[in-house]
Amino acid sequence: MVGIEDEAIVLRAVDFGESDLIAHLLVPEIGRLTVIAKHARKSRKRFPGSLDIFNHIRVRVSRKRPGALGFLEQALLLDPFLPLREVPARFALASYLVELMDRMAPEGGPGPDMRRLFDFVHSALVSLGQGQPDLCMRLFLELRAFDALGLRPGLERCVRCGSELAPGPVGFHVADGGGICDAHGAEGLSGVLRVHLGTLRALDASLGSPMDQLPRLRLEGQALAEAREILFRFHRFHLGFELKSEGFLEESLGGLA
Amino acid sequence: MQRLVASLRRLPGVGEKSAARLAYFLLGAPDELVGELSDAIARIKADTVICSSCFNLGAIDPCPICANPSRDAGALCVVEEPADLSSIEQSGSFKGHYHVLGGALSPIDGIGPENLRIAELDSRVRAGGIREVILATNPNAEGDATAHYIAERLKGCGASLTRIAYGMPLGGDLEYADHVTIGRSVENRRNLE
Repeated sequence: MVGIEDEAIVLRAVDFGESDLIAHLLVPEIGRLTVIAKHARKSRKRFPGSLDIFNHIRVRVSRKRPGALGFLEQALLLDPFLPLREVPARFALASYLVELMDRMAPEGGPGPDMRRLFDFVHSALVSLGQGQPDLCMRLFLELRAFDALGLRPGLERCVRCGSELAPGPVGFHVADGGGICDAHGAEGLSGVLRVHLGTLRALDASLGSPMDQLPRLRLEGQALAEAREILFRFHRFHLGFELKSEGFLEESLGGLA
Repeated sequence: MQRLVASLRRLPGVGEKSAARLAYFLLGAPDELVGELSDAIARIKADTVICSSCFNLGAIDPCPICANPSRDAGALCVVEEPADLSSIEQSGSFKGHYHVLGGALSPIDGIGPENLRIAELDSRVRAGGIREVILATNPNAEGDATAHYIAERLKGCGASLTRIAYGMPLGGDLEYADHVTIGRSVENRRNLE
């Protein structure tokens, strides 16, 4: 029997059988972990208020072997991130990030990488609870989510030859994973998106900025439109489908998401 | 037998063991009881209508609550499901009218405002005659978010918007309660004098 005692964030919880819940958790050092919470819907004492979406909890889980379904033995609520519930745009963007993690976070990856992923989600939920998210915030957080998932696009140098990208219009090739210089972009590659170097630099700068500074970073006009297209194409390439929460996110961010 | 067990298992909250237990019970039950049950199941869809005013389930439209002139039409209680309405009715604490949303916002399940009866609520409140809208969605993430969404949408409608209180359940145990519930119970404490 393998025991896990750690903090976790609830990505999803669904009813199972007569009184149980299946919960998807994001756990440092492990990544995504699926557990069954026996009698969670009947007992007021076992998991009081702890298995709601976004909740930051401390858990004790037992598993017969790594990779097997875990049995949730105890869950203690640390932070329900209540401010996320109070503003529809916060709720929408937090739901989008959590759904992205639920779909893409690996289970059982290298510990430090999984810890980084957990830290990203935790800090993103804290940050989202402090302001009024807009389209810029959505793009910056989505880029960070891909970065935390190990899918950081190349934004500084040509991903084909490694040369520094020259000022002016450059290419962005989703399948190659980043910007490409004019020499390679002119090769007749299909799917190359023409964008300005300034847009890639702004996105790159956002990745290096502390999380609490993100609301101050701005993308305007053409840069915003280009960044939106880059992230949209990157998302669809790696995920392959639209997340269920995208519709409500779009409505909540004023039809611009 | 297998067909009945498989059908019962499709009901919410019924697992394999319960389904088999129910099936064996029906097998040994009097014909009258089994006939009554099967007749009730067969007629439930045809005999049930949705109230065109509050969207509660019932046998007639408008439902007895909406049609009752002695109830307070100025107070409107918004709930997620008909079962929530029944719970409040059983408490006997509310004598106004209801509005059943049909669920709560849940973006990760693809449930947005267009999937709930929020537009109908908006029209109902803005039509006038309602002085208070009580948001009685469940006190979980989805229910809270739905209440805040509705509150934002109904801003300026002329009615006061209130949210049901949070606190310790009757028969509850402080030792097992989460700190948010305890905190809110302390915040919302009452003077006993």
